[in-house]
This record gives sequence, structure tokens and C-alpha cells, in this order.
Amino acid sequence: MAERAHAARGALAALWAALRYCYPLLLVLLLWELVARAELIRPLFLPTVTTVLEQFWVLLFEGEIVAPLLVSLYRAFAGLALAVVFGVLAGLWMARSKWAHWALDPLVSLGFPAPKIAFVPIFILWFGIDHLSKILLVAFTCVFPMIVATYHGAAAVSRTVIWSAEAMGTSERKLLSRIIFPAAQPYIFSGVRVTVPVALIIAFTAEMIAGGGGVGAALMFAQRFFQTPTVFVYILVMLATGLVLDLVMLRLRHWLIPWDDEAD
Amino acid sequence: MAVSVAPRAWLQGGSLSSWLRAAGRYLPIAIVVLVWQLVVELDLVDRAFLPSFGETVRALWEMTRNGEIVVNLLVSLYRALGGLVIGSIIGVAIGLAMATSRRADQFFGPLVATTYSLPKTSLVPLFILWFGIGNVTNMLSVVLACLLPVIVSTYHGVKAVPPVIIWSARAMGTPHRLVLWRILLPSASLSIFTGIRIALGFCFVLTISAEMIASRTGIGKLIFFYGESGAYAYMFGGLLAIVIVAYAADRALLAAMHHFLRWHDSIHAAHAGG
Amino acid sequence: MISICVKNLNKRYRARDGDVPALADVDIEVREGEFVTIVGPSGCGKSTLLYILGGFLGADGGTIEVNGKAVTGPGVDRGIVFQEYALFPWLTVVQNIRYGLEMSGTPGRQCEETVERLVRTIGLQGFEHRFPRELSGGMKQRVAIARTLAYDPKILLLDEPFGALDALTREGMQDELLRLWQATRKTVVMVTHDVNEAVYLSGRVLVMSQRPGRIVQEFPVTIDRTGEREVTVLNDDFNHLRNEVWLAVRRQAGANAGASRAARDA
Repeated sequence: MAERAHAARGALAALWAALRYCYPLLLVLLLWELVARAELIRPLFLPTVTTVLEQFWVLLFEGEIVAPLLVSLYRAFAGLALAVVFGVLAGLWMARSKWAHWALDPLVSLGFPAPKIAFVPIFILWFGIDHLSKILLVAFTCVFPMIVATYHGAAAVSRTVIWSAEAMGTSERKLLSRIIFPAAQPYIFSGVRVTVPVALIIAFTAEMIAGGGGVGAALMFAQRFFQTPTVFVYILVMLATGLVLDLVMLRLRHWLIPWDDEAD
Repeated sequence: MAVSVAPRAWLQGGSLSSWLRAAGRYLPIAIVVLVWQLVVELDLVDRAFLPSFGETVRALWEMTRNGEIVVNLLVSLYRALGGLVIGSIIGVAIGLAMATSRRADQFFGPLVATTYSLPKTSLVPLFILWFGIGNVTNMLSVVLACLLPVIVSTYHGVKAVPPVIIWSARAMGTPHRLVLWRILLPSASLSIFTGIRIALGFCFVLTISAEMIASRTGIGKLIFFYGESGAYAYMFGGLLAIVIVAYAADRALLAAMHHFLRWHDSIHAAHAGG
Repeated sequence: MISICVKNLNKRYRARDGDVPALADVDIEVREGEFVTIVGPSGCGKSTLLYILGGFLGADGGTIEVNGKAVTGPGVDRGIVFQEYALFPWLTVVQNIRYGLEMSGTPGRQCEETVERLVRTIGLQGFEHRFPRELSGGMKQRVAIARTLAYDPKILLLDEPFGALDALTREGMQDELLRLWQATRKTVVMVTHDVNEAVYLSGRVLVMSQRPGRIVQEFPVTIDRTGEREVTVLNDDFNHLRNEVWLAVRRQAGANAGASRAARDA
């Protein structure tokens, strides 16, 4: 009986701590609601929080949230998967082969700082406005940080470790798969974690620019017809998606790489 | 990125060989350009989809001569770099406040953590609704995109200042407000610069995204426009221009970092950071 | 004249499951111009004591008075030299040395002269415009000491100043420090784990117990330091005293180990 009361008090304390942590967010929401209700800013520009939430439910039941979101997520993750596969292979190769490094380094140096979103018109031209162009654009954008992250992970393996393995008769292939790749995994995972939001952003933005379904296109559509509450709904959907994915990445890291403790 | 220099084993010493070595570093790009030109010349790819490198350069040259490229690049640079500067200054201030004041940390921390995951391009349609098409929408998006990486890197940089450095400064009579300016910021400057480098990448992406979504001017608009009207050589020309400009800006920032941070004992390791 | 007066000093560290006592009822008196060293086993709290004297950490009980005034924070009357040198890496050698002078508003001309003199004293002519990353450990420590001496604090607090240096460099630095002290006669409180160093340099050695630290023994040092290092160190009196201090510290270090061994075997 006393145990249950103690547990209840503990849960209450945790809830209170969570609320205290979020107080700036609640403050912002409160301010927003008050300003909108008092119509200090016209409802066309700033609908109330409650209006936005109502619109969310309406859109949800009309199927205008889940379907576009799944489309965007599909594009983002398909592109990311391609980028991870090519990026990791290229990064490992660059770390092990001086010629691969010589050949790819300038291309990576040039591509990394380039605003790859500028390639949207080209990808639309070559691959149409449906899934393929978005997936490939995501892949094109995300491959660069994946190469860099993998390269650093592979290059960070101390040469004494490699020499020991070579002295024990490890072939190049085994060296890559059993020593270098595992050692590079924390870096690779870090790279993926940082690149997931990039993949999302590219998918959303490409949809905003070129249309063709997905949350980005829906957002632009709402804006063109001045449906402000809908605009806010989609912005919040994008925000929530990003947050959830980041949390998932954190959990995954714990599960996949428990031996490495990198502070956040 | 220039993670390390190409095989040093061959060609040591002498200015001719250092020229050759520099040329050797860019040879892969020349090879790609050559392949590009050949592929189109040999009609392996439909010219409608891929203008040759020669055509692209000619189009770019024409746009430079009639001022089109320069005007639009300047507009985009004004928006991107202007937003970067404003975002960086505010970002450093907030990051510094968060790292030195618990109240500031409690206020901004949750806000930063939440908006980190929001793609700032999603705000462009909202800003168009509020401010119309133009510089305000564009620069505001850039400022917001640059804020977060700078805040986070400043925060971590200041938090990582060894206490003995702060203690030494205070023992030598440094008043509190001077500690922020003369001790914390210089000590954290590598971290801050790294954050600004990330923000530099973002500012171009945001500017171009906003221009492609809706704008009357700018290099993003130029690329989009020529894409829509089918003048692909000009589209590629504009693309080439912005890729070169973004690369040059990144190199310039790196050079500035190397100069201002030449005292840092791990500046060379940091340079390899992509 | 009593320069530093510590009475009943207490310090606790907050840990997740209860407080950890670091210092318990420490009593110390240091006269003006004295060179006092505190030795003790690792983790006994001697550095903590120094940080409290410097005003970087607060105490939980007791009083600390420096020159009659209570210690409330860091101050220019108590210069500090850390084991990690704590040089400002973005400033050159002369900029580091000049820093304290700038803070006290010393006019430029005087700054220049003082810095020049100190650079010569520590033997780093030619390195004035180098950054700390270009210096060796010994050179960095010399700059750290010069930086602290520049603005002439009455008291010097040294936290294992030579702990990060190799043996040969350390001996050279000890001789330099001795010479500097003999020339300036500042009040010095040093913390070290090197018993040799303690006896070689100071006029009084205080032995601290295991955590929670308290001063358990005191050794006045009256060896003859007029000769060269070889003469002083190979002297019988020096060695006798050094051995006594070493045994005292070892006993403190072993006190807990012996108790835990006894508990294990019981």
C-alpha cells in the first residue's frame, strides 16, 4: 500500500519535472493563443492554437496527414538507404586505397559544400516529378556526409591495430569486414543520425519546389490557397516527425552499439 | 574537405613539382568533365537531357557578359551571407548565455531541442504568407536555419573551457563581464567556427530553396526559371556558378579559420572535418 | 605576521547518494614569507584545500583569512599556478605574461619593462611571440610562473606545478623556483605528491591524512640550502628528514589500505 503511494508520488514528481522543463514551450503556446484570440494579428496570418489543432483532426480523418507523410518518409528513407550503402562503401574504399582517395576526394570536397537542392530542376528533368527524382536527390545529397563520416571512422583505426591484424595473416577483405568496419560503426551511426534530418528536409523541400505528392506539396498547396491553419498543421507534422525520428535514432544507437558511450 | 593530401611519395620539392602536385589533386575533376563532354559529343546521352560541358560554359559566359549571373548571384549572396552573419551573432550570444546562466539554459534549452528537428524550409510558405516574396522571407529563413548549429556549437565550446583557465583569469583580476569576452569566447572559438561552417552550408540551401519555392530574383530563381523554360544549358550554367561560389565560400571560411585559430593545437585535425 | 590563517575548515562534495567529506577540521597558519608545502596520499584533498585558499571553491565550515580578511573569491593577492599550466592558448608568450598587468591597469611602458625582464628571467628570449602549443612542457610552466609573478601577488599558490614534467626538467624547475623565492621572499603554499620536492624547497612540510583530509603531522625543514643541488641532496640531514616525511605519508596512504585488508581477512 505504502509502495504504491510512493510510486505514485514518484510518477507525479517526474510529471512535474517534465512540465518544468517544457515551460518555455508552454509559454510560447500560451502567448500564441492569447495573441491570436485577441486578434492582435489577423486570423489569416495567425490562427489560434485551438483552430490549428481542430484542423489537424479534420485533416487526419480526411486522410490528408498519414498518406502524404508516408510518401515523404518513403522517399526520404529510400534515398537515405541508397546514400548509406554507397557512402559507406566509398568511405571505406577511400580509407584503404590511396588511388580511391585521390580520385574521390576532390569530388567529395566539391560536392560537400554545394547546395544540392539547386539540382532539383535537373532531377525533375531526368526522373520526373514522382518518387524517383526525390529519392535520388535525397541519395545524392546524403551520400557526401556518409562518405565523410565513414572515411573518418575507418581512418581513425590506429595503425598499430591494423599492423597487428596484418601480422596475424588477415586478408584485406577480412580486415575490412572484421576490424575496420566494426571500428567505424560508431562514426557511421553518428553520420546516419546527423543525415536523417537532412534526408527529411530534402524530401520535404523538393516536394515544396516541384510538387508531386508528399507533405511538402500539401504544404505549398495550402499556402497557395491561403489555408493558414492547414499550413500550420503541416509545419507541426514536419516538426513532430523530425522529433520522433531523432528519439528513435537515439534508442537504436543504444541497442545497436551498446559498447560505445558517446556523450550527447 | 581535403582530408589529406594525395600520395606524397612521388614528387618532392621544387616549385614545378608542387604545381604538378596541385594540378594532380584536381585531375579527377578534369577527368569527370572530360567524360561529361565525351558522353554528350558521342551522342551516348540525349542532348535534350544533358547539355555538354562546352555548351554550359558558353551559356555561363553569356550570362556573365550580360550581367545576369552577377546580379542574381549578388542578390543570393546578400541574402545568404547576410542571414549567416545575423544568425551567427545571435547564435553566439544565445549559446554563450545558455552556457553561463542556468536560467538562460532552462529557457532556451527546450526551445532549441524542439526546433532542431524542424526543417526551416517548411517555414518559407508561412513567411510568404506573412511577408510576401522577397528578401525578408528569404533572410528570415536563413537566420533561423543558421541559429541552431551556431547556438549548439557555441554552447558546447564554452562548456568545454577548462575550469583552470577561468580560475587563472579570475585570479589575475578579470572582472566577470570580461571573462565572457576575453576568455570564454576565444577559448571556444574552434567550436564556434565549426558551427559557423555548418551554418554556411545551410544558408546557401535555405536561400536557394526559398528562391526556388517563390522568388523574383536570385540564382535559385534563375536555375528554376531556365529549367522551366527548357533552356538547359543556361540552367546548368547557373548551377555551375552556384557550386563554384559555395565551394569558394567554404574555402574562404576555412582559410579564415586557419588564420584566426593558428594558435590552436588541434586545428589541423579539425581541418580534416569534412 | 600571519599571512594565511585557516581554522576548522570543512568541505563536502555532493554525490548522488549522500555527501562525500573532502576536508575535515583543517587548521593551518602560514607566516609571511614562508614556503610551506602540503603532502599527502592521492585524493586526500590537498588540491581542494589549495583551491579553497585561492577562492575558486567555497568551504562548508570554518574560516579562512588572508592578511586578516576573509576569503570570498579569487583575488590578485593570491596568484595560482596549476599543474596543467592553464596558459591562454590563443595568446603568445608575452601576451600571457602581460595579462595580469593589463587587468590591473598598469601603464603600457611599465608593462613592457616587466614583461621583458621576466622573459629574460625565465630564459625564453626569442620565444616571445610563440603560442603555447609551440612550447615544451617545461617552457609552458615557466611562462605560467612568469605570468603569475608579473603582477606581483603577495601569495603564491602552487598546485603540483611540476607534476606534468619529466624528472630532469622538474629538477631544473625546482632550482629556478627556489632561486625566485629566495630573491622575492613571497609567501608560498605548494601542494605536491613528491616528498623529495617538498623537503628540497620548503621551510615547513605539512602531512595530510587520507580523505577526509586533515593535517596530521608537521615537519620544520632546517637544511642548509647554500650549496648546489648535489650538495644539498646528498646531505645526511636532508635524507634523514626526507625519509621521515616519506614514511609519514606512506603511513597515511597505508592507513586505509591496512584497514580494508584487515576487514577483508576478518
